[in-house]
Amino acid sequence: MDIYGKQPGKLARWGLKKSPWAFHLNAGSCNNCDIEILDVLTPKYDVERFGITLIGSPRHADVLLVTGVVTMQTLPRVLRVYEQVARPCLVIAIGTCASSTGIFDGSYHVVGPLDKIIPVDVYVPGCPPKPEAIIDGVVKCLAKLS
Amino acid sequence: MSWLMLIVAVIVFPGFLFTAAVGLFSSWFDRKLSARLQWRVGPPWYQPIADVVKLMSKETIVIEGAPRFTFLSAPFIGLAAVVVVSTILWMASIRPETGFVGDLIVVLYLLYVPSLAMIVGGSASRNPYAALGASREMKLMLAYEVAFLIAVFTLVIKNGGILSLGGMVAYQQSGGPMIAQGLSCIIAFIVSLVYVPAKLGIGPFDIAEAECELIAGPFTEYSGPPLAAFKLTKAMLSCILPVMVITLFLSSAWTPWAILWYALILVVLALIKNTNPRLRIDQALRFFWGPMLILSLVGIVLAAIGL
Amino acid sequence: MNTVNNVDPVKALKARLPAGVQDVLERSAARTYVSIDPAVVKDAAAFVFGELGARLIIITALETRAGMEILYHFSFDRLGRIVTLRAVVPMPEPQIDSITPIVGGAEYIEREIMDLFGVKFVGHPNPVRFLLADDWPDGVYPYRKEYHGQYPYRTEEQLQQVRDDIRRKGTK
Repeated sequence: MDIYGKQPGKLARWGLKKSPWAFHLNAGSCNNCDIEILDVLTPKYDVERFGITLIGSPRHADVLLVTGVVTMQTLPRVLRVYEQVARPCLVIAIGTCASSTGIFDGSYHVVGPLDKIIPVDVYVPGCPPKPEAIIDGVVKCLAKLS
Repeated sequence: MSWLMLIVAVIVFPGFLFTAAVGLFSSWFDRKLSARLQWRVGPPWYQPIADVVKLMSKETIVIEGAPRFTFLSAPFIGLAAVVVVSTILWMASIRPETGFVGDLIVVLYLLYVPSLAMIVGGSASRNPYAALGASREMKLMLAYEVAFLIAVFTLVIKNGGILSLGGMVAYQQSGGPMIAQGLSCIIAFIVSLVYVPAKLGIGPFDIAEAECELIAGPFTEYSGPPLAAFKLTKAMLSCILPVMVITLFLSSAWTPWAILWYALILVVLALIKNTNPRLRIDQALRFFWGPMLILSLVGIVLAAIGL
Repeated sequence: MNTVNNVDPVKALKARLPAGVQDVLERSAARTYVSIDPAVVKDAAAFVFGELGARLIIITALETRAGMEILYHFSFDRLGRIVTLRAVVPMPEPQIDSITPIVGGAEYIEREIMDLFGVKFVGHPNPVRFLLADDWPDGVYPYRKEYHGQYPYRTEEQLQQVRDDIRRKGTK
């Protein structure tokens, strides 16, 4: 959780835990993990109970859901979006590719797993991870706050 | 009223804190009802409060090259206008004698300011999506204000030229609610009910902050306390606009019946929101300048001839 | 559109271009490979796509010991057959005529093959980089047999340089 050197207070932590707004960033994935993230946001899993909403602008985000191995094309974009997110923010690497490049290790265009590029708080492995696994990852990420 | 009582009225009751509480409750009510309509569970009752608290603790980012003062002050000017409107409007129902002649027009004027704040804030963001959102909100304002103004003046003609909100409440308390006083008033009520979602930016009229199309519309570059001010403004508007409809048409908003009318209006808005897709901006303009304008003109003509 | 119901498309192609068609291999009833001379690829494509009414599925490329094979897969939907035209071009500088003027949909496919295999498509209307990043070095083709993963950034210094670039140009 990058907060530019200042720790959030108790009330801020409560607010962040009860209302984490998620921004989805695809850093070169095959879209399978993106489809699973889309599944999480459907009424069947109902993550609005936890206050999680999908928002469109990175400036409004608290949680960055990043999928995909970081490629040469998406590297400057991922860095740029990470700089644009308002702190405090948490980063979740979803899928095996984001956690460790998965099957694409050593391929042309692959720069590396996500934690080589930006600091990551929670890794959710799986190819793709089930929606239940993604929710578990988000819950663990929020539990880090208390 | 002494200065201390004035400050308490504006900030605590019935101004900022009271309207914010009712507004946040009604935003939760809308979300919970929408969730239930979609066979989901929905957020807990403190969800909007958690949203505002969280936004207050986030960092504020100002774009390099954007006009800093305009960008940061736009949301707070909108919030200030809404606080003033809420005080005047609630006091008209609680103590009708404390108004002044013409405060209906002041309220209508001040209700432009939150939309203007959205437009100014979006234009000051140095972002193409924000500029698009601001331009759409401008067009939408041109569309919905005309029909609503004609509807309000239908009421003024009907009740004999009373231009103060307190006067209107007193008139209705003695003569019966405005909505029961003729066909023209029913027409004006329908026009006002269509005006409320357009002003709030919900339902089929959430064109400015079109989530899938425009990232976040005019709010794209906002973060932290200014964004919390915008969200709070929207929540307070969602309390004030139904209260204004109740004050104008259904006699006072400070009676036990008013709670029922308020809940009914919220339910109707949520139902419309959940069953209709978003309109395009040209469809919205055509809707307000076509059927709605004709309807309100028919209403004012009927009021002029006495129906 | 001339659909073929009575004429076998491969026989028609052989009759139209007797010198260009070198070999016919029938893998199964639905799958035929026709080896053609690279110089007649435009005429063959015009015939198969234009007159016989087939649909271009995809163009694939394959580096073999004989040279760079470029395969044009055409589908005859009504007959349920896929006919592949195979052209072999010599290796160090593979080049072949572009069929984009005939089949508009081949434009992106040929750009991809240009990026990844380094095949030059003569007469392509828009031969700019398609798939690889802007700062990918020229002359390095990932799908050739000689490529062994020399790029991209592996060292921490190169990564830090990209980070500093972004910080310097500013994101706010």
